[in-house]
Amino acid sequence: MAVIDRNGPIANSWVHLADDAQPAKGQSVIVSFARLKNEHNSLFSASTAVGVEVVGDVVLEDLEPFLPRLGIIVVRMPNMRDGRIFSTGRLLREKYAYKGELRAIGDFIPDQARFLLRCGFDSFEVGDAFPVDSLKQAVATYSVWYQRATDRGATIIDQRTSGVS
Amino acid sequence: MYIYDKYDQTIARERVTEFTQQVKRRLAGELSEDQFRPLRLMNGLYLQLHAYMLRVAIPYGTLSAKQLRKLADIAEKYDRGYGHFTTRQNIQYNWIKLDQVPELLAELATVEMHANQTSGNCIRNVTADQFAGVAGDEVEDPRIVSEIIRQWSTFHPEFSFLPRKFKFAVTGAPKDRAAIQYHDIGIHIVKNEAGEIGYAVYVGGGMGRTPVVAPLINAFVPKAELLSYLEACLRVYNRYGRRDNIFKARIKILVRDLGPGEYKRQVEEEWQRIRGTGIDIPPEEEARIRSFFKPPQYETIAEPVHSFVEAQAKNRSFARWVETNVHPHKVPGYGAVTISLKPIGGIPGDASTDQMRAIADLAEKYSLSELRVTHVQNLVLPNVRQADLHAVWQRLREIGFAEANIGLVTDIIACPGLDYCSLANARSIPVSQRISERFADLDKQHHIGPLQIKISGCINACGHHHAGHIGILGVDKAGQEFYQLTLGGAGDETASIGQLLGPGFSSDDVVGAIEKVIDTYLGLREKPSETFIEAYRRVGPVPFKESLYGGH
Amino acid sequence: MAQAKPINKILTGNRLRTGDTVYYTAAGAWSAYVSEAKVVTTPEGVEELDKAGKAAYAANQIVDINIIDVLPGDGAKPSHIREIIRATGPTVRMDLNKPVTPAGR
Repeated sequence: MAVIDRNGPIANSWVHLADDAQPAKGQSVIVSFARLKNEHNSLFSASTAVGVEVVGDVVLEDLEPFLPRLGIIVVRMPNMRDGRIFSTGRLLREKYAYKGELRAIGDFIPDQARFLLRCGFDSFEVGDAFPVDSLKQAVATYSVWYQRATDRGATIIDQRTSGVS
Repeated sequence: MYIYDKYDQTIARERVTEFTQQVKRRLAGELSEDQFRPLRLMNGLYLQLHAYMLRVAIPYGTLSAKQLRKLADIAEKYDRGYGHFTTRQNIQYNWIKLDQVPELLAELATVEMHANQTSGNCIRNVTADQFAGVAGDEVEDPRIVSEIIRQWSTFHPEFSFLPRKFKFAVTGAPKDRAAIQYHDIGIHIVKNEAGEIGYAVYVGGGMGRTPVVAPLINAFVPKAELLSYLEACLRVYNRYGRRDNIFKARIKILVRDLGPGEYKRQVEEEWQRIRGTGIDIPPEEEARIRSFFKPPQYETIAEPVHSFVEAQAKNRSFARWVETNVHPHKVPGYGAVTISLKPIGGIPGDASTDQMRAIADLAEKYSLSELRVTHVQNLVLPNVRQADLHAVWQRLREIGFAEANIGLVTDIIACPGLDYCSLANARSIPVSQRISERFADLDKQHHIGPLQIKISGCINACGHHHAGHIGILGVDKAGQEFYQLTLGGAGDETASIGQLLGPGFSSDDVVGAIEKVIDTYLGLREKPSETFIEAYRRVGPVPFKESLYGGH
Repeated sequence: MAQAKPINKILTGNRLRTGDTVYYTAAGAWSAYVSEAKVVTTPEGVEELDKAGKAAYAANQIVDINIIDVLPGDGAKPSHIREIIRATGPTVRMDLNKPVTPAGR
């Protein structure tokens, strides 16, 4: 297991905590949404930092009350065709103004990373066999894009209308 | 026509690089077939019965002579000397090799063409009225907004992995030549009472195993805010469209399950949140795109054009071709020519390298270098001077594309069917060929009048059978090809879904059954001007059932 | 006891690199010609084809792997129309069809 961003491996202090395990002192833990809902008081007092792992069908309204206190949200892609993750990312950032780390996990492939980055994700949790170089290459392939998304960098339309050449 | 600027060119170039890398990674085994399949489909690359098939995008069906010549070159160099124009106004090649696709794409990019999003669960090629810009009845040229949607939907970061494919169609005229209500989103350009231009948006239409005529979701979206409205439409779908069952994953099922009212409410709520947040393009960008679709420099020509009138008087065949294949042009002295890719006994939509080159020459010489592809699988020369029509007709006769049958019984839509397609259950093309041969007599065709036959080789309905006045659906019955008939479908502004008549017919019997249906119509029409669809709507299916299946 | 249904099966797929339709032969190779396909008539034979197909798929050589029925008797003749068309080519373009047997045999 490794955690990477657009440039390659990054430091990671987050630990996935199984539903029946207890956080060790000073740990930064990622728990299931069910557990977060049931045990948020004890979790937030026992851990250094708390994050949650969700999938595409998460009801964002239910997650909203916890957002200001969450250090990380990990969104799982159960298979590479399940594109709900992209809307989840954008809504967390743009509608709910979530400011913590947003991480993708699951069956995405390197070619999807640039879309995830544009939809508000910061990092990727991948298996040891994941082709990290392909991800870096895929992200670097495109220098321009047409649409506005979560990342507020200049779109092609912005560049055209500002007369930048 | 729209011309790429340096940004469009950059995207096109980077896309070739990306797909080249993806092919390399697949061949090296880094990507599995399951991982590569969605990637190659997003580049229009299918694995069919005999080889790979590549579908090249022809955005909203508009094509330059130079581009058509490139398509001919590609057919010659990478395929077997022909291509197939499709109901989505695209072209597909049937004999492509995976390891040659990167090179092919690089060649396409030199004429500002690509295969982006011609398949896959993403926003597909936007289709539009083939007479855009030349039809007298349009409120606005639909290609302007189609190009805006093309750019917005290209590699959309949020909507490239939707529950299922997503198709847009746009019409700028009250007469719907783009079948907009059979699309996931159909856009009708309208004027409100204040005289402002906006868009009526229909959502949730489609064909396939659950045909639906799309309901109107918003009667007037202001021009400047279309993209944010579409983004809201797509976001609701991306989040809540079904992903557990491929047959229920299209937006039509979501709209039906929620109800159009509730879907509209959810879209409206999301739209209110995102309006004015920079999703919509500014007016100067709209003006920039609009400038590419300014009418060309037409000559001032007084009608009637005497040589044209005389040629028709002298030559009955030419006059007949003018009657069916030349559409009125908004500019006096011009006409829009539909080139029939439906010669008697031919393969609907197929054109050889030589034919494509000859048509490119005609476009250059007689149509200000412009062409269109129609969703009925024909080509259009949109800007022909009436004085040149006779010369165009003569040249088309030489290449076998002058059949005077547009809108008639032999102007058949047929999907590739089991001759090529790995999804098909039955062949489509041979059925269309035999129908066309049975009704080859032009007098007979004109006697029958407007009639659309549409054939699909499986329930996916690529041949639009649900929208055919007579629809034919191929099925596999214990290893044999059988064909079911539907009647009463229409894809225009009076869109309706064809109704199944009864048990299917064998391949041997289906053409006879079609003839019986047509004879029944001829026997019951009130006057020669009552068309097949009008007569069917008046009398319903019963007389046709009786003539086909008898009284029991 | 019910008579077991007779088995006459071959293994087919398409080459990943070119998309060409190919058939698994008795020599363990892949041929463009259906007549060269190895016909199996026993459950063990089917298992062997299944294994060969999976191995070729895993090696990124052959995709769209299928074990299909052929008619009983000499030569591998596919029984279903889909596979008949796949073996030779589109019925509407006989000029582009390939023979079931390589030229000269």
